[in-house]
Amino acid sequence: MFERRLYYHIDWALLIALLALCALGVTMIYSTTADPTRAMSRLYVTQLYGIVLGLVAMVFMLTLDYRTFTDKSHLIYIGLLALLIYVLFLGNVQMGARRWIGFRGFNLQPSEFAKVGVALVLAKFFGENRGAPTSTDLAIGVVLTMIPFALIAKEPDLGTAVTLLPVFLAVAYLAGMKMRILGVLFLALLLAAPIAWKFALKDYQKSRVTTFLDPSQDAKGAGYQQIQARITVGSGGLTGKGFKQGTQGQLRFLPVAHNDFIFSVLAEEQGFAGVLLALGLYLFVILRTLDAARLAKDRLGSYLVLGVLASFTFQVVYNITMSAGLAPVKGLTLPLMSYGGSSMIATLAGFGLVLNVRMRRFTN
Amino acid sequence: MATHEDRRRISIRLSILQYVITVVFSVLAVSFWVLQVVEHAKFEEMAENNHQRTLALRAPRGIVFDRHLQPLVENRRSYSISIVREHTKDLNNTVQLLASVLGIDEAGVRQIVERHRREPSYRPIVVVQDASLAQVAAVTARRLDFELPDVLVEQVPTRRYPDTLAAHLFGYVGEVSDRDVSANDALRSGDIVGQSGIEKIYNAQLMGEDGARRVVVNSVGREIRTLEEEAPTEGKRLQLTIDYDVQRAIEDGFDQLGFNGAAVVLDPSNGDVLGFTSRPTYDPNAFAAGGIDRVTWASLTTDEDRPLNDRAIQGRYSPGSTFKMAVATAALEEGVITPDFKVHCVGSASFYGRPFKCWKKGGHGTMDLRHAIEQSCNVYFYTIGNMTGIDKIHKWSTLLGLGEKSGIDLPNEVQGLVPSPEWKQQYRKEKWYAGETVSVSIGQGSVSVTPVSMAVYAATLANGGTRVTPHLLKAVDDGSGWKPVPPPPARSRSPLDPAKLQAIRDGLFMVVNGAGTGHNAILKGYDVSGKTGTAQVISNQGKEKAGKTDKDLRDNGWFVFFAPRDKPEIAGVVFLEHGVHGSNAALIAHHLMDTFFAKKEGRPLPPKPEFKANLVP
Repeated sequence: MFERRLYYHIDWALLIALLALCALGVTMIYSTTADPTRAMSRLYVTQLYGIVLGLVAMVFMLTLDYRTFTDKSHLIYIGLLALLIYVLFLGNVQMGARRWIGFRGFNLQPSEFAKVGVALVLAKFFGENRGAPTSTDLAIGVVLTMIPFALIAKEPDLGTAVTLLPVFLAVAYLAGMKMRILGVLFLALLLAAPIAWKFALKDYQKSRVTTFLDPSQDAKGAGYQQIQARITVGSGGLTGKGFKQGTQGQLRFLPVAHNDFIFSVLAEEQGFAGVLLALGLYLFVILRTLDAARLAKDRLGSYLVLGVLASFTFQVVYNITMSAGLAPVKGLTLPLMSYGGSSMIATLAGFGLVLNVRMRRFTN
Repeated sequence: MATHEDRRRISIRLSILQYVITVVFSVLAVSFWVLQVVEHAKFEEMAENNHQRTLALRAPRGIVFDRHLQPLVENRRSYSISIVREHTKDLNNTVQLLASVLGIDEAGVRQIVERHRREPSYRPIVVVQDASLAQVAAVTARRLDFELPDVLVEQVPTRRYPDTLAAHLFGYVGEVSDRDVSANDALRSGDIVGQSGIEKIYNAQLMGEDGARRVVVNSVGREIRTLEEEAPTEGKRLQLTIDYDVQRAIEDGFDQLGFNGAAVVLDPSNGDVLGFTSRPTYDPNAFAAGGIDRVTWASLTTDEDRPLNDRAIQGRYSPGSTFKMAVATAALEEGVITPDFKVHCVGSASFYGRPFKCWKKGGHGTMDLRHAIEQSCNVYFYTIGNMTGIDKIHKWSTLLGLGEKSGIDLPNEVQGLVPSPEWKQQYRKEKWYAGETVSVSIGQGSVSVTPVSMAVYAATLANGGTRVTPHLLKAVDDGSGWKPVPPPPARSRSPLDPAKLQAIRDGLFMVVNGAGTGHNAILKGYDVSGKTGTAQVISNQGKEKAGKTDKDLRDNGWFVFFAPRDKPEIAGVVFLEHGVHGSNAALIAHHLMDTFFAKKEGRPLPPKPEFKANLVP
């Protein structure tokens, strides 16, 4: 259980960086939504609740040895699949997708927790093997990843589903997957792209890609968000327009500013200075977490830490790129900063595991 | 337990990730640097265009007053409804919805939008001018629901001509033409400018300066707040020389008679225009709200009576007997005759082997100048005209104001014609025949005059030889009080010999108060002096040849006048197109002079006239 001396090994620097990012997020959410004439004016309070619940989850993830979680990972995994199936049939529909399980006044989004679940189960699976994973191992890893992937993609929420792929790739990579295989995988993806384009992608997804390549071709429609994102970021300048002074976010030229485009709002109101601060914090969190992976006392710990970090990093990089209008608009939130309780709880819980691994690096 | 090999691999692979991540974040930082610092200016401008709109605040045109500061032309508020395509997501949808909300024809809206398709998309396309309050309310409600973010409702000051009078004098306003915009730096596309009359001549004073309001709007175009507002400057106020009641009297007179024509009334001492009309008239209000509709415009331009034509300054008519005073003046001033010079009229006379008839078959007998004017004896004027010669007649009629532009401050005045041998040689390449002089002596032949020049003629006879310049502007107020505008200098001064002039005036007095044709203008105690003229539109032979025709072949009627005879305060002309006889014109002159003197002396103004009893059919 929680031994007193472990307390001294908690990575306080990482924790502070995480909380700083949360605070930055709440501030930006407040800035864009606190207009009392609008229905959303109390979103920042909800976000604060999310952070508190996330910290509770984090503490819970700290109290038990991470090996306890990995040992139970198959159960956790099966439980998650059950939730995802439940959502698929009985979940709440919002904006045309079934993603949520409704509690009283709180909607839970199981797909956010799938990332942690998949990280746990893959860490456990690859951690038990010694040496480079065989192709059978990789195939099993792929299957373990693709089942929740398929369930989430079916909701449909392709954006969140895609964040599971880095988890597998990262863990397999660290477990010693041959770089050659990685190369083949990458090639296969390139070849699969045109086929996916023809058969798998829906029209709105296609239009997102084509307008990314040339936003002006549809300046009022799909290209609108991208153009507006660039304007938002660019108009922020070096020091920004000031707290609550952003015109793009405040006047709703940028859609869902508090959610997908929270980083654009930061860039607009706090300028390049704010961007550097946030980028620095995220980079610090990521490098510090990589450190934790290096320090872990066993492979299992390393894999688990990297599994958690992979989806986080992927989402951070993609969202920030999209915030600047430099990537196609995809409904991917920015972990720790975007509005969203499930994401906040799942992310903080994941970092609970990261802290856990680092904290217990000396224990047996 | 991790083997050493495992540790090594993990460590290496983690290091690679470290470098990759660091590079990725560096690239992100550089990208943001480029967007936020390098390209900042461009995006800042785009953001500003996004959320700031500059709305023009139309300046009201200056109010126009009569000489006693009674408003003649004012402004009212009207609403225009436009589409701003810059904010349109689906133009088709907007047009459809807007047409149904406004209750107007969708095809019509489409047509308007199509016509302005090539204009920049930020420029509003006005769909409805002068919208009804119901239409404004309907659109505003839809805007609040975000249904029509691209529709703009603007309040615009619009010209209002409260009484339909003196339409040709005021003129009308309309959107500035592209040619005028390029010719004048002060004008911008879309400006409302005067197109005729006072509105045109004094456009620079009347126009004022548009203001602007910079507002912040949100993504659906709703105004959030005003950043700055520059109030429009109202155009300068003009005080005209027109007397509202005299003008009203003229209009009432024409309404009563129902003839087309024109009237110009002056203060003979300085050329102040007291009243001015041209009939048929039109309603300048039809032009006011951003432009006249096509149907009304077409009906105005195709009307055979040509209501847009300002007959007072653009109509040229044969003066008939009213020209006789010019001949008399020439003969007297050149010393050809004295007022006592007598001619015997037997109903016709022969000049250069051709007979010239008097209008009175049996003849007038022996007449001196006074009686010849009173009776309008043609033979008398044939005789003295022939004695005086065309050059001197031309000289003196010009000095009296005929055949010249009056110089009135209205656009597009035309020049009348008093013929001379030089003129004929130059324009017709023909020699002058002495017989023509005889015709000219009674105002026939090639003589043609505008009503306004006839008013100057009356004023010159009234004031003793000063050819005043008729003018409409009395004072200007640019916001700091009225500043009088001095009357323009007289066109010429040629003092007439008082004794000689008196003979003419006596004759004119007798026309009205004696045995002449001007009885209709009698005003007890005011010694009205005047002369009727009845000019054929077509010769007698022509009339017979034409037989029955739809064309109006009735004679034109003139009445030139001034009063009181010895110290004139008012002078002018009333002209009736196909008005049958000059004495009909005298009816209107009577009513306007009656009104003028009543107002001057503070008596109650005469009621609207009933002319039927005295009308020559």
